Amino acid sequence: MDANNIVTLETVQKAASTLSGNVVITPVQTCNTLDLLSGRRLYFKCENFQKSGSFKFRGAFNAVSRLVSLNGATPHQLQVVASSTGNYGCGLAMAAQLHGVTAHVVMPTNSPVCKKRTLLSYGASLTQCEPAAQDIAQTMKQVQDATGAVFLSGSEHPDVIAGHGTMGLEILQQVPNFDAIVVPVGTGAMLSGVSVVIKSLCPEIRVYGAEPEVANDAARSLSSGERCTFPRFPQSIADGLNGNIGVVPWTYIRGNADDIFTVSEDEIKNAMRLVWERMKIVVEPSAVVGVAAVLSDSFKARAGECKNVAVILSGGNMDLDKMPEYLQM
Amino acid sequence: MDANNSVTLKTVQKAADTLSGHVITTQVQTDETLDSLSGRRLFFKCENLQKSGSFKFRGAYNAVSRLVSSNGRTPHQLQVVASSTGNYACALAMVAKVHGVTAHAVMPNNSPECKKRTVLSHGANLTLCEPAAQDITRTVKQVQNATGAVFISGADHPDVIAGHGTMGLELLRQVPNLDAVVMPVGTGGMLAGVSVAIKSTCPEIRVYGAEPEVANGAAMSLNRGERFTFSRFPQSIADGLNVNIGAVPWTYIRSNVGDIFTVSEDEIKNAMRLVWERMQFVVEPSGAVGVAAVLSDSFKARAVGCRNVAVVLSGGNVDPDKLSEILQM
Repeated sequence: MDANNIVTLETVQKAASTLSGNVVITPVQTCNTLDLLSGRRLYFKCENFQKSGSFKFRGAFNAVSRLVSLNGATPHQLQVVASSTGNYGCGLAMAAQLHGVTAHVVMPTNSPVCKKRTLLSYGASLTQCEPAAQDIAQTMKQVQDATGAVFLSGSEHPDVIAGHGTMGLEILQQVPNFDAIVVPVGTGAMLSGVSVVIKSLCPEIRVYGAEPEVANDAARSLSSGERCTFPRFPQSIADGLNGNIGVVPWTYIRGNADDIFTVSEDEIKNAMRLVWERMKIVVEPSAVVGVAAVLSDSFKARAGECKNVAVILSGGNMDLDKMPEYLQM
Repeated sequence: MDANNSVTLKTVQKAADTLSGHVITTQVQTDETLDSLSGRRLFFKCENLQKSGSFKFRGAYNAVSRLVSSNGRTPHQLQVVASSTGNYACALAMVAKVHGVTAHAVMPNNSPECKKRTVLSHGANLTLCEPAAQDITRTVKQVQNATGAVFISGADHPDVIAGHGTMGLELLRQVPNLDAVVMPVGTGGMLAGVSVAIKSTCPEIRVYGAEPEVANGAAMSLNRGERFTFSRFPQSIADGLNVNIGAVPWTYIRSNVGDIFTVSEDEIKNAMRLVWERMQFVVEPSGAVGVAAVLSDSFKARAVGCRNVAVVLSGGNVDPDKLSEILQM
């Protein structure tokens, strides 16, 4: 069961050079109240401040950049396509626009309005479909056939995963001593990229994933040793995490992730309220799944000895009008 | 008409020493979208990230600290009292607790619930009264008579104003080539203190205030050349600004402030939404009034030649549950 070796420390370091000057080196924030509530020192990597509003920009930029340099055609002749619950679509749209490349995004109809608006504002074209794996695959093929666009998978492409991994390099520089890192898991592209960096450089640091209970495909995969998926996407308020764990990410998560914690919808809502009220940062539900995890009883039980924990706040693209729904417990 | 000289560059610099290590030197953020919307380069001073959730912590800390060092009695024998629409009470409660001093807050009964809760959570005593100047004065006097507490006015106390002024010193260091600074105005404590710091050091930098149209006491005062007050407090959604300009702040504002811009309730809501959605920061309505001002037509018309403008995001204490109500335009 060897991990696929197309994402390595080296490819992540290369991605960091490509990204240098083009992505925001996001701040790490701390919060006394959250330290007290969790019983440990927490270091929040604020990717909500990243370009396009989430960490997805890192992977998208790396992938588009490498495609443009490897490809003979001039950028404006290049087209790229991907499917996304929202943030990867926004990241790809922005990265494509910066390179003069045309982007096509396929999104489930129930994706947040603000994410659809954002990707359109970056000049990408949007095709919507039913929130099910089959429909997405079908619609993607239709767009590819019609446009000849290159498919840059947000979950499987090694350049995307390597791009996301750059967060691991930054956190190692920004946080002097930490025992563990907690990362929300959707398709697992972030967890896999970050896990490669951490385990290559500091293998003693625990790498944890965090998932909604209702979208626990990664947790089930890790427990059973085999990749598990939902045929029809779950409906957590953490809309970015309703996708299935990808094939390539799974090969790294299987080898590198020490545990995956699942949290209830109410725990996610509680964590959102805490981050808004105490840290004054706007985060979307998916982004606080890691926070919910470190506050949970399971974390105290299974990772209690980790005293200094880095937590990635993955994004801040949320519909303000949905606020009452996100707060109703 | 000499300005009152109880607040000087020296007292602000002394306050900076007192505050050093105890307040957060808040970051200055920029945002491309807001730059394009305003037609100038904006530098946001993020006091929403300050301890207690607003800049009020600065003035409260300086005042209580100086009271404790100059007072013969041990801290736990000291009591302080003040009236506040919310943020100053929260700050005073937090500062008092840190110094081991007992705090009493008098707040209008229509203050936001989250602010009342915060005051109580820091162990301060809370008395509510009618939202009118007379009722507030009377209630403060009652508390003073009953407890012997020292009155530390959030509006008029020179130590409070000097504490707020430390933001001006920070801005001068953090923003090169500053042309203007824009701040929300309630009692004017922040505007007065910051104007002293700026005008004493770099008199060519313009100092501007920003107010809700419906709570335009300071703008009216500046236009008439004489302090104007409302007998019954106005009801802007910018709850922190529904107060009268203080007598002491007025003496500094009169000499140092170039202009005060007023904005509609809708402009405030729009600015709030922009900061939440584009900058991913939690800002309360009062906190966004400066942003609304720099985006307004009057600013474009009257603040000619200001390329680099600092805008203070004064606070982020807002109930997420109230957000949809607040944002209804």
